[in-house]
Amino acid sequence: MAVSPRKIVHVDMDAFYASVEQRDDPALRGRPVVVAWKGARSVVCAASYEARRFGVHSAMPALRAERLCPQAVFVPPDFVRYKAVSRQVREIFARHTDLIEPLSLDEAYLDVTDCKTGLPSATAVAEDIRTAIRVETGLTASAGVAPNKFLAKIASDFRKPDGLFVVRPREVLDFLEPLPVERLPGVGKVMQQKLAELGIARVVELRAVDARELERRFGRYGRRLHELSLGIDERPVTPDRPTLQISSEDTFEHDLTLQDLAPHIERLAGKTWAACEREAAGEHGRIARSVVLKLKTSDFRILTRTTTPAERPASARGLAEIACMLRSRVSLPPRTRYRLVGVGLAGFVDRDSHEAQTELFHRLA
Amino acid sequence: MRFSIQRESLLKPMQQVVGVVERRQTLPVLANLLVQVKGGRLSLTGTDLEVEMRSSCPVELGEDGETTVPARKWFDLLRALPDGVKVDVQVKGDRVVMHAGRSRYTLASLPADEFPTTDEIEVTDKVSLPEGILRGLMERTSFAMANQDVRYYLNGLLLDLRNTELRCVATDGHRMAMSETALDVPVKGNRQLIIPRKGVTELLGLFEASDDVVSVEFSTNHIRVRRGDVVFTSKLIDGKFPDYEAVIPLGADKVVQVEREVMRNALQRAAILSNEKYRGVRLEVSPQCLRIIAHNPEQEEAFEEIEAETKVGDIAIGFNVGYLLDALGSLNDERVHLQLRDAQSSCLLRGASSQQTQHVVMPLRL
Repeated sequence: MAVSPRKIVHVDMDAFYASVEQRDDPALRGRPVVVAWKGARSVVCAASYEARRFGVHSAMPALRAERLCPQAVFVPPDFVRYKAVSRQVREIFARHTDLIEPLSLDEAYLDVTDCKTGLPSATAVAEDIRTAIRVETGLTASAGVAPNKFLAKIASDFRKPDGLFVVRPREVLDFLEPLPVERLPGVGKVMQQKLAELGIARVVELRAVDARELERRFGRYGRRLHELSLGIDERPVTPDRPTLQISSEDTFEHDLTLQDLAPHIERLAGKTWAACEREAAGEHGRIARSVVLKLKTSDFRILTRTTTPAERPASARGLAEIACMLRSRVSLPPRTRYRLVGVGLAGFVDRDSHEAQTELFHRLA
Repeated sequence: MRFSIQRESLLKPMQQVVGVVERRQTLPVLANLLVQVKGGRLSLTGTDLEVEMRSSCPVELGEDGETTVPARKWFDLLRALPDGVKVDVQVKGDRVVMHAGRSRYTLASLPADEFPTTDEIEVTDKVSLPEGILRGLMERTSFAMANQDVRYYLNGLLLDLRNTELRCVATDGHRMAMSETALDVPVKGNRQLIIPRKGVTELLGLFEASDDVVSVEFSTNHIRVRRGDVVFTSKLIDGKFPDYEAVIPLGADKVVQVEREVMRNALQRAAILSNEKYRGVRLEVSPQCLRIIAHNPEQEEAFEEIEAETKVGDIAIGFNVGYLLDALGSLNDERVHLQLRDAQSSCLLRGASSQQTQHVVMPLRL
């Protein structure tokens, strides 16, 4: 007997930060709102649907957004408020299932195969959640319902804003067929270009390519592409995903030399260290063993250097020292300028098993 | 059963036994004290089935008999009565009535034969020594006992009888404390006994810092101490204590000598800025100098530098500051030795001129 399909819901708040701003300030309603910090190099965190009509979208440089939509109201982000709303939304999810995997403040996967509320279908659960969000937070959310995560995510985008789209198990192949390949997770500009060179623009064309051929060309990801084209995605919804890396980064007003980065590295190390200590003091008590230095050159090349010292850094200062030292492993010409630097800690392990107190007697299993 | 007694004369034995009565019991009768009057003497017994305390005193107007009375309530009532008042206690049916001046209290009782007591124990070993010395051994080691560890044999204090020597050892698996004394009266053979945690607490409350000789008797599974009017009986932990001698770091040859109070004060200050959960401090040794460094999640830092008599070059090692403070607090010597090997190995702490008390502390990985 076949295993019955899972029921996955992807919930995505509509223009989240901008919607919260419009909700809390009536003067902003109906107007194009752009959430972004002031500054020559800031990027758009969120844009209201009114602003999107002018071509403004998140991650776009704020200056460009200003040119596209001069009448837009620019609001600096207030993450404290966004987090509070996000928590409220997560509580709504928790009425239905404990299998919640938040992706960010404004979206999450839910596995409602075994739903706590006993609603007859995942569609009913998704509608119930959307209604509760509207009533309790005054905001709208879109939802996608599907037998797996990637389909649910594509589906939630299908009727945005304030919409619901359901992909039933038997509709999966038909649903995917006409989609452009860039809808698939992992297909960005570069991959899209490579596929286009092979004459593949839509999923139906991708599906026609032999799996071995894809694997030969793209390695492990080729195999994944083949599976995605058939609507296969076994990734479980994993609540409480453990922290993989904690980092802080900053883009400068003016590009800097490698040498000039030191004070910025120290400052960012302080922020990263504080966040890591919170993680270490937290419920899971995890500590990081690797230090990561991230750099972006003035021509947008990104490089990272990582080291795992024998003795993990013991303070923000120690972290800064190691991160500064990692600069010596950058072998670009000295005239190179950098627009961004980031300091991260990675390689998290359980503090109790790794750092904690050592034992006098070897415990018997 | 009936007796009359001065409030203070009853409070004293009651204070000695009421401590063993647990706030939550597995059997209702364990919330009570066993009260027995026989031949002009009153005897009170409290138990939690592991530790039993019995205390007795003379009474006026005794009428023989026995019953059990709710321990906590009776004790609280008695304490709240005015000084110097005479109390009269008698059984009336299934009730116990206490008169004191113009006050009258009626308490529920349970039959005495439901009360579990430890009968005579078959003494196999006996140690006699001044109680102040035994108390000292226990005080200097008992803080290191484990608490509710799954390794149940660590939730107590080891008495290691070694013919002419008695050694007390306690460990929670992270640090270990041991203290020893020579015995004037040797014991026959060697024997290891583990007194449960609660028994240790009760004994510490019982012993005074005097030179009076106290006798400690052991059967196969009990320890019994008679002191004045009090009889303490406890089950022994039925388990094998780990081979503690094997973890004494004999190879720790890097000796750092410091003034005990100076190091203790520095650690106490540094502890304020250590991580509350892990309480880690870092010790850095270089010739003539010991540095103590602590950090917390708020990125605050403590840095102490103290004089140390040492030739040791560079060694850096982390410890739970609480363990170091416990160890230093239990030593009497003005100067102490820290003996180290490397950052992964345990540290031995002892007085600079005495080996009577020694502590082994495992490091924190830095």
